[in-house]
Amino acid sequence: MKKILSSKGFRELLRIVVVLAAGLILGFIITLIVSKEPIEAYKALLTGPLSRLNRIGDWLEESITLILAGLAISIVFNAKQWYIGVEGQMILGALVSGVVALYIPIPPFWRILLAFTGGMLVGFLWAVVPALLKAYLNASELVTSLMLNTVALKIFEYFLKNFIMPEKARYVSSFTIPPEYRMSSFVPNWPFLQSIRELWMKQTSVTWIVYLVILSVIVVYLLLYKTSFGYELRTMGSNPKFAMYGGINIKRTMILSMTISGIFAGLAGVHLTLGIHNKIIMGMTSGLGFEGIIVSILAYNNPLGVPFTGLLYGYLKAGADVMERTTDVPRELVSVIQAIVMLLITAERLLPAIQKVIAERKEKSNNRTKVGKKGEPNVT
Amino acid sequence: MSLETVLHSIFSAFFIASVIRISTPIIFPALGGLVAIQAGVSNMALEGIMNAAAFTGVIISAYTGNVWLAVLCGVLVGILIASLLALFHLRFGTDVILAGLALNLFCSGITVFLLYVLTGDKGNSATLASLTVPNVKIPWIHNIPFIGELLSGHPVFTYLAFFLVLVIYVFLYRTRFGTHLRAVGENPEAAKSLGIDVNFVRLIALIISGSLAALGGMTLSMAYLPLFQKEMASGRGWIGIAAVHLGARKPLGVLLAAILFGLADALANQVGSLKIPSQLVQMIPYVAVVIALVVYAIQQRRAILERVKKYQQTMKEQYSPRTQ
Repeated sequence: MKKILSSKGFRELLRIVVVLAAGLILGFIITLIVSKEPIEAYKALLTGPLSRLNRIGDWLEESITLILAGLAISIVFNAKQWYIGVEGQMILGALVSGVVALYIPIPPFWRILLAFTGGMLVGFLWAVVPALLKAYLNASELVTSLMLNTVALKIFEYFLKNFIMPEKARYVSSFTIPPEYRMSSFVPNWPFLQSIRELWMKQTSVTWIVYLVILSVIVVYLLLYKTSFGYELRTMGSNPKFAMYGGINIKRTMILSMTISGIFAGLAGVHLTLGIHNKIIMGMTSGLGFEGIIVSILAYNNPLGVPFTGLLYGYLKAGADVMERTTDVPRELVSVIQAIVMLLITAERLLPAIQKVIAERKEKSNNRTKVGKKGEPNVT
Repeated sequence: MSLETVLHSIFSAFFIASVIRISTPIIFPALGGLVAIQAGVSNMALEGIMNAAAFTGVIISAYTGNVWLAVLCGVLVGILIASLLALFHLRFGTDVILAGLALNLFCSGITVFLLYVLTGDKGNSATLASLTVPNVKIPWIHNIPFIGELLSGHPVFTYLAFFLVLVIYVFLYRTRFGTHLRAVGENPEAAKSLGIDVNFVRLIALIISGSLAALGGMTLSMAYLPLFQKEMASGRGWIGIAAVHLGARKPLGVLLAAILFGLADALANQVGSLKIPSQLVQMIPYVAVVIALVVYAIQQRRAILERVKKYQQTMKEQYSPRTQ
């Protein structure tokens, strides 16, 4: 027991809990100031996602995207590569998988398989340019990936507006993908699960990608912690000079870290089209790539932590939606809370700084009591 | 036919004026990004600062009726957020990129949140009677046909932006503090050993950077249109960072890069009548940044190789007589 309490993992968990509580309390203070029904609003935020089955479904769907984006980021951040092109990879993955599901005339099973492969492949390929530029020319991957995000968004917009969007459509979107070409419900079609399956399918559209997400988490964990490539990747991240002199092929590791991360970003895009929206629409990703960064950071870039932080983040987002619909507090409150949480989590020296202040205070008060005792020996 | 009309419209004063108009809110954050990067910290919060300042300007001007007070408050908000970035990065050891991203999230959240609380609308501030900064009519030039249309009648911010390019150049290359700032960016350890307070210099750099980005934000909400919209900066903060890299981290280069971004945007609006898709035109500057980075990297490498060669040669010249 003592061992668990003093372990690093427990301390980090404790830190997340404390920081999250601090963020929520700050959020509550803001709510108190602006809202007429602060208690109601917070109740909706904290319990809303669980109140109805369809809301649970929304929460899970949202979390799936976040977890996949978080996994993608965790790979590059473990390699200390500031690659933030997840947004671009995601939207291209969504585009490609949508196009395959809509237009390639092959049977459903193969079509979905091809949609997945295409989405993941385009995510992989989209990272090749920044990765090569970083490895061979030392061009900042932060800037190139940021630029390519916008390029990807423009490519997406170009194809959507000029080729995919039906004429006289009211929204900038494609046709809806027919149900047989989407993913089906995550509850298997077995006789004794029939009633549960029908209940879930009626209210939610959580698909079997759930299992793929679980598999992805395990794969990324094994890749990072149980393979020599993962060891090289983490060594490069924690100590690049040691990695270089230790004979690690830095260039190869760099390129692979970014491109492999792209596979999961592409997968997140596939989920957006075939799992959530069921069509290609404008602004599908809307900052989800950046939210992946927060999810990964909250989990200290540990792939096994990502599902939990992803579910947590998704819960807050889903709760915020409920709060906005039922009370007078807008959902942006959650962005504020998340920003505060992210700042506090990433502040490495914040805790030592606070401890130092407390220690100094204690010392001062100790000195004072000593002086008091010397000066007035009769008191107590 | 249509190409002709497009070409005609491109070479009109109106088009050039629109390029200037679109470039202005890019020049400010680009300069801000430049000052920060020259000091060795990248200010990733430019986007958020622009949103926050644009919002503050609109709100203060709507509630007090005083434009200049609003501008002042907007700049102060920019400074405040930049100081927060500095506090977390320099004092609490947060990675500067992550802190910047978190602050962006904070700003885009809090502006929409407060907008909704104050106006009941989440999209824009149309219900508020906010003000714009005055336009400047340059006395003599205003009446000259082509040039007058081009150079005169822009909002104060536009002239300020171009003027600040000069100011930043002088600041960075002709003042003592600017030299310190560049030294800190070039080699913080060396600067420290010479007695320069690295953290202080970076704090000041971030504050300057924040106030510049704030001016950029207010150009959006208080110059041509008295209106705040959700996520008003819409990527201009990032474009500013891109312009810094495209402009080879020099004030004039950054200015030209910002104008290139403005030009591409203005062109994209114009080519609508042609068969060229506007998205492809809008893409050009982003691709250009990537290419510029590549060129920059190749140049750097070549410079290093030459230096090594020179070094080897001098070594040979120095040591060959002795060995012979």
